[in-house]
Amino acid sequence: MLSKLESMLMPLAEKIGKNKYLIAIRDGFLLSMPLLIVGSFFLLIANFPIPGWTDFWARFFGEHWDSYFSKPTDATFSIMAVLAVIGIGYSFSEQMKVDKLFGAAVSLVCWFLIMPYEILVNDTAVSGIPLGWVGSRGIFVGILVAFLSVHIYAWVNKKGWIIKMPDGVPPTVAKSFSALIPAGISVLVFFILNIVFAMTPYENAFNFIFTILQTPLLKLGNTLPAMVIAYIFLHIFWFFGVNGGSVVGAVFNPILQTLSAENLAAFQAGQPLPNIISQQFQDLFATFGGCGSTLSLLIAMLFFCRSKRIKELGKLAFIPGLFGINEPIVFGLPILLNPMMLIPFMLVPTINIVISYFCMSIGLVPLCSGVAIPWTMPVILSGFLATGWQGAVLQMLLLVLGVFIYMPFIKMMDKQYLEEESRTVEKSDDDDIDLNDLSFDDL
Amino acid sequence: MKLIMIYDQIQSGLGTKDDTMVPLTGKKEPIGPAIMMEPFLKQVDGHVMACLCCGNGTYLADPEEVSRKLCAMMNKLQPDVVMCGPAFNYADYAQMCAKVACDINATTGAKAFAAMSVENADTIAAYKDKVAIVETPKKGGLGLNDALKNMCALARALADDADTSELIHEFCFK
Repeated sequence: MLSKLESMLMPLAEKIGKNKYLIAIRDGFLLSMPLLIVGSFFLLIANFPIPGWTDFWARFFGEHWDSYFSKPTDATFSIMAVLAVIGIGYSFSEQMKVDKLFGAAVSLVCWFLIMPYEILVNDTAVSGIPLGWVGSRGIFVGILVAFLSVHIYAWVNKKGWIIKMPDGVPPTVAKSFSALIPAGISVLVFFILNIVFAMTPYENAFNFIFTILQTPLLKLGNTLPAMVIAYIFLHIFWFFGVNGGSVVGAVFNPILQTLSAENLAAFQAGQPLPNIISQQFQDLFATFGGCGSTLSLLIAMLFFCRSKRIKELGKLAFIPGLFGINEPIVFGLPILLNPMMLIPFMLVPTINIVISYFCMSIGLVPLCSGVAIPWTMPVILSGFLATGWQGAVLQMLLLVLGVFIYMPFIKMMDKQYLEEESRTVEKSDDDDIDLNDLSFDDL
Repeated sequence: MKLIMIYDQIQSGLGTKDDTMVPLTGKKEPIGPAIMMEPFLKQVDGHVMACLCCGNGTYLADPEEVSRKLCAMMNKLQPDVVMCGPAFNYADYAQMCAKVACDINATTGAKAFAAMSVENADTIAAYKDKVAIVETPKKGGLGLNDALKNMCALARALADDADTSELIHEFCFK
């Protein structure tokens, strides 16, 4: 079974490994990974799931103490698309063999060019860069812009439409002059695109992409099949770099919260709980450990992988992961636009939803009472608090099952990375040969 | 498996067909056909440790000295296998490939073979019994990928000290 899966997926992995777009995305996100890990620790401190935590810190730093802690999170998570665009523009320029720094800068400028500089304050539009679009919601547009702008830049370069300075001009000056026309043409294209989008009802490219992706979700309801479909969508969105939680959540969270409130009212009145699906069902049984239930993936990474890259990332991401913060692996492994991980990433939460639903519907596990348990509460503990020991056992079983579903896929990536690492070691062995060794003068 | 490739000035990208006096030199990273060969090298776990080259004119001015220096370099770098070529249909380069491969086999611990196209009839006739010469297409001809793959397969067998007679029969000029 494993070898069959491997024989099917390895050629795909080979192809992916050589695709310059996917390489650019993979390497581009590495720019933001360390910063997201740092940000996630601050996020964790601000939302630590123990009672009294907030009060304790409020005594020292005042009521708004958490706003200090949310600042590093804002400076990383909330602007992560900026980092992604720079990183992808830079690494894609390397793939296209043009100047990397200019490629990154042109990508960023073109992306800002099509962004609306308007934010709503009390229904009045004022000038500003909307945080909504520079965070994870803007990444998908960012990826498209980085590719298109660097393509134009490289195309103009290849045509030779560049200003050449005479010899003797310092190289940095000559470089910046030679970037002038390619950058100008890229900007011109996006300038026109911006006008085109402004003439449509969507007003800008960001709204257009977001609306197009959101539309299929509008008809979903609150049944098991609906939830499964919604969460498959949610994870596909994440796969494309769009924060699926905020897209699907816009439609689905009000439903989940209403269902939770109904449960809580029944719980307080001592009546049987009416709904299996609720906010807690989602947070604690469907996607515990973050989207994709990646805590299972983290365990598989730590226990079954041998490549340094995956092991080190696993160690770093484990503590945030334990508390449901999984950006480090979503962007660092990455899971984004990584076809190898798409299947388990969608499958694990789907299986979690189906199994939990049936366990609750046949009475093996009590329903969630509707008592709000923070989403950062670690798994097993959160299950216990929500539904008693049965919930803790169910979470544990789901966690282990998830490890086995993720395992073959992460091992496949591990194998690839191991090969890459051994190649680097081999290369560094050869660094024993320096250029002096290749001199024929003394032979 | 550590490989060294030997090129002329054209294959190494250091000169045109008129820049014949490029001196003996080397690069650490794969250049020229070694880059096209990378997927096949991966299959046989091969790694190009260096690409050495010299202009055709430099070689023709003193073939013995060039060959001696290349052999001395092999002793210094200790590769497993040396690929001389592919020389395609370039006559001077083909001659250098055949002679240098012969000398490396005779005087160093490395194993060498040459690669060229059928157009180099004189060189092939003079050397085919002394050294393995893998058949390649001429420059721009069909079947280059197969030829590169064959070169890698032969290199692997040589590095493993395996029986190469069947591969030589299949891939080389008879």
